[in-house]
Amino acid sequence: MSYVWAGYGVTLVTLAAYSVHLVRRGRQLARSRK
Amino acid sequence: MEETRRSTGSALTFSLGLAALVSVVATVALGLALPSTVEQSDFSRLIAIHPGVAWASYVAFGVTALAGALWLWPRTRRTDWDLLAGASAEVGVVFTGLTLATGSIWGRASWGVWWAWDARLTLSALMFTLLLGYCALRRVPGDPDAVARRSAITGLLAVLVVPVNHFAVEWWRTLHQGRSLLQDIPGNDVDGKFIFAMTLGFVAMTLVYAWLVVHRLRIARLEAGIDADDLDAAIEARRREAVPA
Amino acid sequence: MSRDGGSMWRDALLMAGKDLRVERRSRVTLNQVAPFALLVLMLFAFALDPDRDVLARAAAGLFWVAVLLSSLLAVQRSAGLETADGLPDALRLSGLDPAGIFLGKALAVAAQLILLELLLGAGVVVLYGVDIHGVATLAATGLAATAGLAAAGTLYGVLAGGLRVRETLLPLLLLPVVAPVLIAATRASEAALTGVQLDVSPGDWLSLLAVFAVIYIAFGVAAYGSLLEEL
Repeated sequence: MSYVWAGYGVTLVTLAAYSVHLVRRGRQLARSRK
Repeated sequence: MEETRRSTGSALTFSLGLAALVSVVATVALGLALPSTVEQSDFSRLIAIHPGVAWASYVAFGVTALAGALWLWPRTRRTDWDLLAGASAEVGVVFTGLTLATGSIWGRASWGVWWAWDARLTLSALMFTLLLGYCALRRVPGDPDAVARRSAITGLLAVLVVPVNHFAVEWWRTLHQGRSLLQDIPGNDVDGKFIFAMTLGFVAMTLVYAWLVVHRLRIARLEAGIDADDLDAAIEARRREAVPA
Repeated sequence: MSRDGGSMWRDALLMAGKDLRVERRSRVTLNQVAPFALLVLMLFAFALDPDRDVLARAAAGLFWVAVLLSSLLAVQRSAGLETADGLPDALRLSGLDPAGIFLGKALAVAAQLILLELLLGAGVVVLYGVDIHGVATLAATGLAATAGLAAAGTLYGVLAGGLRVRETLLPLLLLPVVAPVLIAATRASEAALTGVQLDVSPGDWLSLLAVFAVIYIAFGVAAYGSLLEEL
């Protein structure tokens, strides 16, 4: 069962981290353009 | 309009993101609630996410190639297509990596090994290397048109070679009678729950992919647009000057 | 502007001749790539235990890996011939049909690869104790695989050609792409050497190699010109 947690965990954490990264980078760029 | 935005968010990404989030939560909840099976005990619960991320990685691959082709075709050439190709490739790396990770975890759980060279995962591994090569190529600095052209050609070739890879790997691995991860999943007659969870996973991951690509594309446009907009404005100004003549 | 097919092939032979003449004068393939190929065979022997018959059993695969690695060198060399100062412009202004340039360069690379394969074949027989059977299948496999390798290598060679990072980028682009060539060529060669027919016949593997070659030759002919502009 720990493998199941690992599988779900890896997926959700990776996607969340990447999402945060993109949103932050987007804000940074949008502000510097103004 | 874009100039006044303080982020790459918008009404579109808000609704898209909300849909993605809801479907992911539903997928996880449903997946974790799936019953244990005789063949695979708890591990079959991974059916809710592994096929989903694999599907999203194929979508990413296809979009990269298609957007590149649209850029290559002179009549449809727009910078946006090239930027979309690049954005989709980067998101594709994430999903392909997740396919390999979840596939490996599932294999470890089912078969006791982290990697068994089964045909499907090996194909994903090959696609992963193709995507990495594509992304490395894109990062080489150069004239935007040159970057777009060689990226588009590389992306198209990567997709054209996938069927060749598929047969090569399938034929290669049939000799070893490997078992596919999905073989032991009941679903056809006994429990539609598994198929439903898998399908929900497809939907959820596709929505996540779309949300990520829109943001990544806007980032790319911001990065490129800082110069391009000035250039476009200058060209416009020259064109207006030239008209009376 | 349409060029007749004859002009393309004429330019191809001109180009192939030029590249092969350069090779004859500089002898890079002979003096550098060939020893490298044999060295790879030796490295495999050092890495694997020769006494346990592993080498003989893995010979087909090791052969093709050695071919792949050698082809990297051959392709880098071929691409590098056109990127020295002033040469890209000279090539564009020469009036040669770019498709012909592509075919010619690919032909030259293919010729060098065939010679390397013959050398490596002798090496595998001598160093790994392999008996040769099924020569016809081996020859067909060699030709089909080489066609694909040469075409793909020449195409990615010009794509990465003008870039300063070509030396590290080209292998990263080329090797994943030619993975199916490795798989197919090895399986077909194994079937020829051992005489054992498995579920998938050598003919199937050869068809796969042919499809791969056709894809890359077609793309090369179509796209080489536009990529040459960017060099």
